[in-house]
Amino acid sequence: MIAALRLEEVSFSYGSVPALERVSFSVAPGERVALLGRNGAGKSTVVRLIAGLQRPDEGTVWVGDWDTRDCVPEQLAWRVGSVFQHADQQLFARTVRDDVSFGPRALGVGEREVERRTDRALEDLDLTAHAGHHPYDLPPALRKLTALAGALASEPALLVLDEPTIGLDRTLRARVTRALLDRSAGSVALLVITHDLTFAAETLERGVVLDRGSLACDESLAALLGDVTRLEPLGLAPPPVAALSAALDLPGRPVRAADAAAALARVARGKPVP
Amino acid sequence: MTGVRLHPFTLLTIAAVLPALAWILPAPDGAAATLVVALVLTLTPGAKLTPGASPGNASLWSFPGWRPGLVRLRTAVVTAAPFWLFLLLLHDVPTTIAIGLRVTTMVATFVWLVAALDPARLVEAMVAAGWSASVAYLLAATFSAVPVLKARAQRIVEAQRCRGLSPRGGIPARLRALRALALPLVLSALHEVDERALALETRGLVPGIRRTPLAPPPDPAAERAARWALLLVCLVALVRRFIVQPFS
Repeated sequence: MIAALRLEEVSFSYGSVPALERVSFSVAPGERVALLGRNGAGKSTVVRLIAGLQRPDEGTVWVGDWDTRDCVPEQLAWRVGSVFQHADQQLFARTVRDDVSFGPRALGVGEREVERRTDRALEDLDLTAHAGHHPYDLPPALRKLTALAGALASEPALLVLDEPTIGLDRTLRARVTRALLDRSAGSVALLVITHDLTFAAETLERGVVLDRGSLACDESLAALLGDVTRLEPLGLAPPPVAALSAALDLPGRPVRAADAAAALARVARGKPVP
Repeated sequence: MTGVRLHPFTLLTIAAVLPALAWILPAPDGAAATLVVALVLTLTPGAKLTPGASPGNASLWSFPGWRPGLVRLRTAVVTAAPFWLFLLLLHDVPTTIAIGLRVTTMVATFVWLVAALDPARLVEAMVAAGWSASVAYLLAATFSAVPVLKARAQRIVEAQRCRGLSPRGGIPARLRALRALALPLVLSALHEVDERALALETRGLVPGIRRTPLAPPPDPAAERAARWALLLVCLVALVRRFIVQPFS
């Protein structure tokens, strides 16, 4: 099976300032990957390379079987749905529905299919009630969800999201988690930049960590977040559940709230953990 | 400016006098002279790199000290180039050169001013000179908005391209694309006005209240004299151009 995304020995510099050095990793269809690291580690540069906004100095970025070096961003939009940090600033249509349908329309998708995709994206993020509103009449958090719905409506094989949960409360974050899990179940690959490790633990399954432009680790997110001592040198703070698991020395070091609750219940009942 | 930090009023005076002289002095010689001065100013190393600018040709960038200046020079030339094209379509060559040199002087001077003028220093200088803080902020915000809007425009273009919008093609396609590119910029800028106004009020920027500047920029007597001299030169040129030798 062809990977949805593959970076091969990718290096990139802004002028004389190196941003990435020989970074390699891949994301399989349906896989949910967190791209982690401190500020300036090179995460956003990876997103720009995948979206075709920059070309690697060395190495290759493959989106499916497309070399991004041969594609412009509007071509890559067929396969990559990108949502940037300030995505709410890209909204321009008179209604949320029009804005969400802009992506598939720009790609030349047929009108009936555009309607279907738009309806589905709005439903996935519980935005149907706001479909007729002007995007700028909505609070910033819902504008952010509107931008995400726009990316979902294009139905790409790979979703690349840069900090999708900033400014979202627990309810809205849960909506994002549900929508992303749903898309992932349909074989959409996810690459999510986030500093929100609670969201990452609940939603994503693998962690790729960049440190000063190099790949620091690439492993199961549960294993990474469960080992609290390894996080600090990478500039990451453990999510509260992982910190609690470590402090209580819970068996299996669960990092998701539901898993931690189950482990605590077992310990309280004195039952052995499987 | 390297090492020397001119008073914000001096920078504003230079930025006002250069374009004025470009239009007052006879073309092409006078306009060419002001353009040379303006271009030299844009090349002056030391001012900050224009936000949103990206490194281009590697050979141009091999001497780091000149990078900011080269970026500004490129910005000025690229911004002024379309004016030359339009002028050439509308006028003969001598008129194109005459107006083109003047317009390019204005563009280059503004590019230099945006890079060299620190809005915070301008506010301090204006408050120290007795201006109201709200008027000072209004002027400073205009300058500080340029790089911010430029960076935001770049982000919007990139985001829309990643949604499948092609900014290329025929004129109808470009006009359609323009809506998706310009509207978000205008809408988000307007939307920000409310938030900015609220933030300013909560920080005590209320009209009618006299403020004490925290660190007013130094304004030496020599600089003040130089500013008046520049304005005098402008006035003399104006008198000479329109009264003494009106058709030279």
